[in-house]
Parts: sequence; C-alpha cells; structure tokens
Amino acid sequence: MSTTYDVGAAPGLIDEDLSADLAGAALALARRFHAGATLWVISPQWEPHAHHVAVEFVHPVVVGKRALPSVALVAADTVAETRIATRPGDVVLAVADAADAAVADVMRRAPAWGAETIWIGYGERPPAGAADHVLWVPTADPMTPATGRFVLMYHLLWELTHVCFEHPGLLKPEEPECTDEVCVTCSDEGRLGEVVAPPADLLSGALVRTADGEEYVDTMVVGEVAPGDLILIHGGAALTRLGEEPGA
Amino acid sequence: MNDENTDFLYPFIEAQETDATALLTDLASSARAKATESARLQAASLEEWGPEIEAAGRAIAERFAAGGRMYTFGNGGSSTDAETLASLFARPAHGRPLAARCLAADQAVITALGNDVGFDVVFSRQLMAHARPGDIAVALSTSGSSEDLMTALVEARRRGLLTIGFSGHDGGRMAVADEVHHCFTIRSQSIHRIQESQALVGYRLWATAQHHLETLRKGYAS
Repeated sequence: MSTTYDVGAAPGLIDEDLSADLAGAALALARRFHAGATLWVISPQWEPHAHHVAVEFVHPVVVGKRALPSVALVAADTVAETRIATRPGDVVLAVADAADAAVADVMRRAPAWGAETIWIGYGERPPAGAADHVLWVPTADPMTPATGRFVLMYHLLWELTHVCFEHPGLLKPEEPECTDEVCVTCSDEGRLGEVVAPPADLLSGALVRTADGEEYVDTMVVGEVAPGDLILIHGGAALTRLGEEPGA
Repeated sequence: MNDENTDFLYPFIEAQETDATALLTDLASSARAKATESARLQAASLEEWGPEIEAAGRAIAERFAAGGRMYTFGNGGSSTDAETLASLFARPAHGRPLAARCLAADQAVITALGNDVGFDVVFSRQLMAHARPGDIAVALSTSGSSEDLMTALVEARRRGLLTIGFSGHDGGRMAVADEVHHCFTIRSQSIHRIQESQALVGYRLWATAQHHLETLRKGYAS
C-alpha cells in the first residue's frame, strides 16, 4: 500500500556521531544531578515532549531507578519562566527546532544563569556552540516530532544517564576547580552576565546575574543598561554588550 | 599520552574510576544497540499491524468525515504521547486539521474527578460529558490493563464511539476486551521501546486516516 503521507521506520536511527553526543550529554547530566541539579525542560512548539521528559526522570518506568528532579516549563514566556527557575549548576533541556527564537534566547542566556544546556531537535542544526550538547535528528521531515524520534532520543538520554550512576567514581567534575587568581585559563575574561537591575545611581554598579550568582558590575564602558541585557564582564566591569536579541 | 589500558592489573573498583573514556564508549555503543532494537520493533509492529492500521484509519476517516471528534487519553508518559497524537490530528504540519484533543490536558478536570470520585473515572466521566455516538476514543497504555483506561473504553463503546487501544507486552486486558474495536499491541517488555513503536503506529494511523479522508472527498466531488 502506498499513501500520500508514507513514512517508514527509519533504519539506523542513531549513528556514530549522535551516539557519541548522547553519551557525552548523559555523563554531563548525571554529573549535574549528582551535584544537586534540577533538569528544566522546555518545548514551546511541542509541549507534550517537555512533559514526557520530566515524567521520565521524576517517575522512572524501571523499578528501582532513582527519582530525579525534572520539571517541564510550559508558561507562555519561556525565557522569563526558565530565568527564574534555574539556579547555578542546573541543566536546561530543550526540544525544539533551530528556528525557535525563544529557545535560542534561553540557550544564549543559560551560561549567565550557570546552567548547562541540551538541545534536541531536527532539521537545520543550530549554530555551533548554541548549546553545550546538541542531539540532532538528521532529517528535515516536518512530521518528525510525531513519529517517535524525539521520544527515542530522550528515552536513550534517560537510560544512559542512569548507567552513569553505576560509576560513582566518574560523577565528580572532570576538571579540578582552579582557585589560583592568576591562572590564565580561568581568568574571568568574557564572563557572561545578565543585567538584573540597572545602577541605582551614577556611583553604583548594575546588579548582574552570572554563573557564580549575583554581583554588582561597573557599566561605565557600555553605558545605560536595562534588565535582561547580556554583557561580557572582565575584572568587575562590563566590557561589551551582546547584540540585540528577541525576548531581551 | 599513554593509551595502553592497564585496568586489568587492578581490581575493578567503580568508585575509584577516573577515566570516563571507556564509559563513554560503552554508552555510545549501548545507545546504538537500543536504537537498532527500537527500529527493529517499529518495523515488526508495522508489519504485524499493517492491515489493522488500514482498517482503523479508514474507520477514523469515515467518522471525521461525518463530523465526529477524537478523544485521546493515557497515564504518565503515555498521556504525553496521547497529547502528541491529538496534536498530530488537530494541528498537522500538512494535511487536514481535525477535531482531536487529549483528555489528560486539563488539570482542573483531572484533579476534580480524581479527588471527588476516584482516579478510575478521570477519563470515562469526561467521555460521559463530551462524547457523541460518532466520535472516536483512543487509549494509550504500555500494559493494556490500566483501570482508568479500560473504564473509559467501556464507556466509549457503550456510547457508540469507535474505540482504539495501544497496548504493550502481551496486550493485557485491552487486547482481549470486546469493547475495543482495534487494539495495537507492541510486543516488547521494554516500556521505552513500546512507546517508540506506538508513536510510529499512531503516526501511520494518522497518515492512513488523512489518505482516506482525501479519497472520501474525491468520491463526493465526482
């Protein structure tokens, strides 16, 4: 039988590269959970997928697997809801195509919130570096969200994450934290910050959110700032303002 | 860097593992193996249920053509898959949008019924309020035996609805119930693999219904 809307069971659902991406995302997610993270899930176009991911982690289908904190965020303003939900060390997972402006905006801001990011989608890939982990279904078929390909992807992420918990020695952060103030690799060049409140007066700094929490930052160089502005911080001062973006 | 694996020299103590390379290799290989099994099960399910999908898709199309509506429902992850299926019928990327919605979507209704009457009636009571004889009820389950779903399917059948069930494992109660017109049992022990196949069978069901709706429309035009 052939129909107008024929689609087959896709062979080779997960290739070498995608399986490596999944493995990396699972280990990172397990490490974050181990350190106390909550997994926040957004999918503005396909809300049920966000709920499915969250219920998967909170109420595992395999008896004996631990319940992990995960929440679907489905408010109309995705950026605003995710901003107040996330704490440093959390993880944000999106199920969305690369053209989803709200999700792209969350992904840009996540480093300022101290959150690691996982982006599941299909079609054209988001630009390099758009998220910490990109788990991409290599097809442009617009029916992809309804064929089980995303379900497979987050089921595998859940399954692999729980395998990682059987390896407690590997759940500690990979790189030791550097505490040396003159260390070149972690000097604070270009730390991302999101303005919470502009300076109260000419002499004070703007209240800015970064991966380390909130701090006051000198905004003399970049001029007037408004809540939501993204800035790059060096040595306690804002050096550059990142370009205009939707949802700012 | 020395890539030589010297693990065999030491007792394997997982708490002292420090090199994630081996784990990552295992995870990636496990992901591919599971995906291969998922694809195998999908192909086997489409093979087994092809004629049933055709029959159910045609029946769905006839009901929609006559003004019927579709109600989908399920518990937990299956409730989200029920919502994905309803969205596929209601807001497809292409094809004709149809009146379908998920009965798990309204927390006020679910909690009111669950609290005041009991969880077993959260879907059946909604059908009593909304359903008409020409409508369609679709229940998604991985066990086929959830009380709330069976209660709803029985109620649906009593009211003249077309009843469709998605089940797993050996099919459970759904597979043998007289009240279910079409039951798609996915033969696996893994809830995850079952849901992945149910999604594809559901998608095929939608595609088949769309195809028959077009055929019906052309029939009227000529």
